Amino acid sequence: MSEGHDDHGHGKQSFISKYIFSYDHKMIAKQYLTLVMFMAVVGGSLAMLVRLQLGWPGQHAQFWETLFPAGMASGVMTPEFYVMLFTMHGTIMVFFVLSLGPVSGFGNFLIPLQVGARDMAFPFLNMMSFWTAFPGAIIILISFFVEGGAAASGWTAYPPLSAIRSAIPGSAMGQTLWIVGMIFFIASFTMGGLNFVVTILNMRTKGLKMMRLPLTTWAQFLVGILGLLAFPALAAGSILLLFDRGLGTSFYLPAGIFIGDTLFPHSGGSPLLWQHLFWFLGHPEVYIIMLPALGFTSDIISTFTRRPIFGYRSMVYAIVAIAMLSFVVWGHHMFVSGMSPFLGTAFTMTTLCIAVPSAVKVFNWLATLWMAKIQFTTPMLFALGIVSLFVTGGLTGIFLGTNVVDIQLHDTYFVVAHFHFIMAGAGLFGLLAAVYYWFPKMFGRHMNERASKVHFWFTFIAYYGVFFPMHYLGIAGMMRRIYDPNTYDYLKPFQNVNTFISISAFILGLAQVIFLANYFWSMVKGKKVESENPWHANTLEWSTPIHPGHGNWPGEIPEVYRWPYDYQHPDEEGDHAPQWQPPAKVKAAK
Amino acid sequence: MAENIQANRDAKHGMALAVTLWAIVLVSVAFFFKYDLPELASNRQSQDTLYYAILGVTGVAYIIVHCLFAFYIWKYRHRDDAEGSYWRDSHKLEVTWTIATAVILVPIVFAGLVIWEDVKAAPPEDVFTIEAVGAQFQWDMRYPGPDGEFGAWRPELYTLENYLGIDPDDPAGNDDLHLINQIVLPVDQPVRIMLRSKDVQHAFFLPNFRVKQDVMPGIETSVWFTPTKIGEYEIACAELCGLGHYRMRAFLSIRSQADYDTWLTEQSQAN
Repeated sequence: MSEGHDDHGHGKQSFISKYIFSYDHKMIAKQYLTLVMFMAVVGGSLAMLVRLQLGWPGQHAQFWETLFPAGMASGVMTPEFYVMLFTMHGTIMVFFVLSLGPVSGFGNFLIPLQVGARDMAFPFLNMMSFWTAFPGAIIILISFFVEGGAAASGWTAYPPLSAIRSAIPGSAMGQTLWIVGMIFFIASFTMGGLNFVVTILNMRTKGLKMMRLPLTTWAQFLVGILGLLAFPALAAGSILLLFDRGLGTSFYLPAGIFIGDTLFPHSGGSPLLWQHLFWFLGHPEVYIIMLPALGFTSDIISTFTRRPIFGYRSMVYAIVAIAMLSFVVWGHHMFVSGMSPFLGTAFTMTTLCIAVPSAVKVFNWLATLWMAKIQFTTPMLFALGIVSLFVTGGLTGIFLGTNVVDIQLHDTYFVVAHFHFIMAGAGLFGLLAAVYYWFPKMFGRHMNERASKVHFWFTFIAYYGVFFPMHYLGIAGMMRRIYDPNTYDYLKPFQNVNTFISISAFILGLAQVIFLANYFWSMVKGKKVESENPWHANTLEWSTPIHPGHGNWPGEIPEVYRWPYDYQHPDEEGDHAPQWQPPAKVKAAK
Repeated sequence: MAENIQANRDAKHGMALAVTLWAIVLVSVAFFFKYDLPELASNRQSQDTLYYAILGVTGVAYIIVHCLFAFYIWKYRHRDDAEGSYWRDSHKLEVTWTIATAVILVPIVFAGLVIWEDVKAAPPEDVFTIEAVGAQFQWDMRYPGPDGEFGAWRPELYTLENYLGIDPDDPAGNDDLHLINQIVLPVDQPVRIMLRSKDVQHAFFLPNFRVKQDVMPGIETSVWFTPTKIGEYEIACAELCGLGHYRMRAFLSIRSQADYDTWLTEQSQAN
């Protein structure tokens, strides 16, 4: 295959229409990924500063003052700066990295390629989706520089802290920009979700039945539905919060709030309402982040074990079950909030139900590894890493999902450990695995192998080094979001654990520099890909040319004859039979 | 092309990954013997029992799954010439592990529900009631005094001096005892703490007593428990409440009935 299908069916494109306001889902995906990497650097740096404080509380270093004259005046971090750091770390990572990366980025890139479509169903909407997320990200970044600094009420933005300007410095302009940024993000995500669902339902190529879709696309399909149903709740909730802040309404504010020397005139609202609305989105959101990662894992594991994914049908049922259950478990974030204890009972039952389909997925991955011919490529290493993180984080979910045990562990570092394994860990490793796996398709080049492997090893080991010890801290009773745990006598003995975590975190952070350098270097200088299908994989994206143009296939869109997991099929020659290869019998008849 | 795949297949990474996983399991499990819940000082033993039960069950699952996973990675790491396998499904296996997982979870859910009902049940008749009010960034405590009744309060009366908004005209409030960031309680006496917030959300956390309850403006919540061990303990705020969240710390002292009575008399005289 030669290069140069870029303009297929579209005539000559200007720089702006090709690289900026592009309608091509592949270019939009790359735009998303570039934005995600920038936001990840910001979000990750915030985490490094958080760890700096927790590792060596109150440490003094004059040079910080030059960097952050307000937040680290005279070289010591202020508590309000610390609160802002973890608030914005959570916000940026959850929404602008782990949602935009695996979903908006790879969903966009892969869905048309894997279903055999020339583009998304609504390319203009797709372009708009990116150009709505982008200003959202800019608004979030600008909020660091306004009076009072960026939002500082946690990524969960619980009112009254987020509703009353004098409650915390970040609740001034920063919180308003946070809400506006989130509304942009939600609008973008809704447009994307609509495209995902419509494209997958309506634009599959001939022969591609739903039960022949790769698990990655199945996951993106469910994510599209989850986003469409869950995010509007947060949009509505955020707008009401904006009203409480600016127009004097009382959706979340009850009577009798006294801050500073002021009694606020609100009455009749309830801060619990926000928690319900927020977590009605918030819980599906963690599956929006996780499901694509689980999809990538299944597909990558199948490719590099040269085995069909075990129990495809049960894998599909499992993610459908997880997606549906995700709408009826939000109350497990509120066991100690003061809501009715009957709800606590109900939400425990629904929550622990999720453990069943999750365990099924793990068992299926294990069965796929049985009798495998494992190839330890970098994407495979990250996919195997996801299995490990998913097991660890999934099991700790049983503690937190059980309301009785949650009483003690709620809002401690046990929770921080749990969600960094299951949601953030799977999400981050999923994003990295996907970049390594699909990089050749995106840029026609390979990433540097040695640097990739080094990146994996530092990332995987440091990840456990950072987040596993947080379980111990949580069990010992260390609360989340505290600026200096040494305020409490009972937490003083654990300072060495915090220091260890911080050192691991810096290693984890530095390892990502290797990745970023490798990514951008390989984009220009990486070894050129020599065939359309460098991994010998079966899914449809590998039937496109090395440099697929806008429209993806230069000629006809291939027909699909089989599911995507025919590795080592006894009736086929060779070790794999891609989806576009007719069955052996048909071939013989021709 | 072929070379590239060959380089990727490098089985030494498989060996290393298997060993790393085994090491992670070994180290991470070992430290669970070192780090434990804070010493229990209340009647909420059942919460701990369930915690340890879940720790046991999930611990075994964690070890088995990870070790098996690492073993497969080890065993099937380099098999280019081996015979492939096209085994793609087993209805029997799927049903087995679905049901097995559910069966393991049922007793956990069931035990959880029973204990939850216990924890959330109404306190015994002889419960002693006090009040804790969360405010940025301190805990204001109130004892009802000898008459056993709290004086009325209204938000309209909040000032920096009258920080609990106490109604001076209510006689029930005259003997109320006010403390800041401190509670003293007699051992073995069930106590109920009524919780409210003056401003933002807080959470009343007693690490040694297995008690945690969000404190919300506009909603009165409460917790009850029986202290079982004499000693000095800490009270923490567990819900982000502002820049001073980390220092919203208070003290809980559990004393013998005699010591408690002496303390109470002293306090009343000082009042």
